[in-house]
Amino acid sequence: MNELQRSASTTFAERVLGECRTAVPLGAYACAENVRYLFLAASGPYALVRQLDAETTLQPVSGTIPLFSWDEREMADEWGVRFDLLPDARPLRGRHGTMPPAITAHGTGLMRFVVGPVHAGIIEPGRFTFSSGGETIVHLDAQLSYAHRGVERFVEGLDVAGAARLVARICGSCSAARSFAYARALEGLAGVDLPDEVELARLAVAELERLYNHLGDLAASAAGAGWGPGFAGGMACKERLCRLAAGHRLLFDAIVPGGIGPQVLRERRRLADQLAAFAADVEEYLRVLFTHASTVSRWQRAGRVSREVADAFGAVGPAHRAAHGKIDVRSFAPYGAYRRLPVRVASATAGDAYARCRVKRDEISESFRLIRDALVQLGDVDLPDPQALAVPPGVATTVVEGPRGSEVLAVHVDGGGRLSRLHVISASFRNWPVVARSVDGNIVPDFPLINKSFNLCYACADR
Amino acid sequence: MSVFRHSLGIRHLVCGSCNGCEHEMSALENTFYDITQDGWDIVASPRHADIITVTGPMTEAMRAAAHETVAAAPRPLVIVAVGDCALGIGPWAGAPAAGRGATDELGATVTIPGCPPAPEAILAGLREAAELL
Repeated sequence: MNELQRSASTTFAERVLGECRTAVPLGAYACAENVRYLFLAASGPYALVRQLDAETTLQPVSGTIPLFSWDEREMADEWGVRFDLLPDARPLRGRHGTMPPAITAHGTGLMRFVVGPVHAGIIEPGRFTFSSGGETIVHLDAQLSYAHRGVERFVEGLDVAGAARLVARICGSCSAARSFAYARALEGLAGVDLPDEVELARLAVAELERLYNHLGDLAASAAGAGWGPGFAGGMACKERLCRLAAGHRLLFDAIVPGGIGPQVLRERRRLADQLAAFAADVEEYLRVLFTHASTVSRWQRAGRVSREVADAFGAVGPAHRAAHGKIDVRSFAPYGAYRRLPVRVASATAGDAYARCRVKRDEISESFRLIRDALVQLGDVDLPDPQALAVPPGVATTVVEGPRGSEVLAVHVDGGGRLSRLHVISASFRNWPVVARSVDGNIVPDFPLINKSFNLCYACADR
Repeated sequence: MSVFRHSLGIRHLVCGSCNGCEHEMSALENTFYDITQDGWDIVASPRHADIITVTGPMTEAMRAAAHETVAAAPRPLVIVAVGDCALGIGPWAGAPAAGRGATDELGATVTIPGCPPAPEAILAGLREAAELL
């Protein structure tokens, strides 16, 4: 490598670092011909792009800002991007069933134990390698990728409209959020604005998804603290919500390119009536849950994420807002109907499991309010069928606030209306390294409740 | 072996599903479906299992662990494929790191289609599996 190229690549890393001071870093990915580092400003998402050729070697950004570590490992291992000394140079994913070695702590009195990939419950697969001194966790290496199906490669070459059904099934827990981001990407490229009533209906769908996820998370967090009634009450609320939504219980295909699915929110008067009674029951559940002293005391001080760790590792969503964070994409860079129905952003400062649960509790109340307001504004208007989109070639990056935080999609469309590249940066992908750091110094028996206070997905992180 | 029908131990094995099937499997434990009323339980080890439910298209990374889990369970054992992916007909069939699902790769004898199947459908499939024990 000659001096000219070195200085050019250094400049790019410095530009990325500089951008991180003024905008929200989202992550990075590679295509055949370039690498793209993504950011979110109040005006929307944008990319810093560096063209690649056979001689290019990049300075890693992850040495300074570790939130880029998984992204740069993925680029190096799977896209052949050459970095000058990655801080963690292990492949991100296992190959042929063999995981890269875990990072472990060694010393007098320390032991190591492995949990997974098969877990004791209805839980997705992952391998957690703990190093501990007695009951105290010294280090956790969370290695995922057991749910890696190769979805990004698989959708390449597919017609953009036909791929929507697959995009909705990358991850079940954040399906509506991802469909929302995908639809907005295609509509942005096509230059199509949707009618207000469609945007309001999409907002209601997105908030229903947040509600069922947050209720399930709180139920699981109660279970993590060993309180059965808290689990049962939350799971019952979640079940009622899955029935309330009508159509698909988990809202798959509720948001489609050009509009909303044909079954969605067509019986709104019934929904509005049932929602009021349901909201009252949920408020009562939350009151009981958050006054149950032994559960709350287990949550307090468990899995604390400092503001510094949250920023460095790029915590998003409730994990970010529980640790001094102020970013909620719905409010920071509003999209769709969030422009006319402003969101009151929940926040906390302690950064522990309790703070994450409180943020979710407050967001549940706000979601109910948003859905009510959207239904009032919708009134009895007929919702149109989705419109066909003529999508020209181009690249669109979209970010929406899913239940776990910012859900990022980069959508590349070729001249034939087919996907040439799709990249997913899920809120879970961003937050998993934060989970691993949140357990430092905690006791092993608190890991389940700490983990459930994040309740991240594996499917959208692994893809 | 009909004695097992009323005390089913169900071990759940996730082989790369989108977690939609896990939401519906978890619903079996809520107060609306409550499988414990039937003496059934989701067990924490394959050693305690009469039934193994499998979801997902069988990712490359999960294949060895899945076979080890099945081998660790006592016999008689019924393997149940839950959801289209496990049946080999899901959205990710043919994806680069996805396999052919539990029906084909683990010899599941009961199949529950759906994306994901509703809890009622999963319950019906589990009853069918119990009849085989």
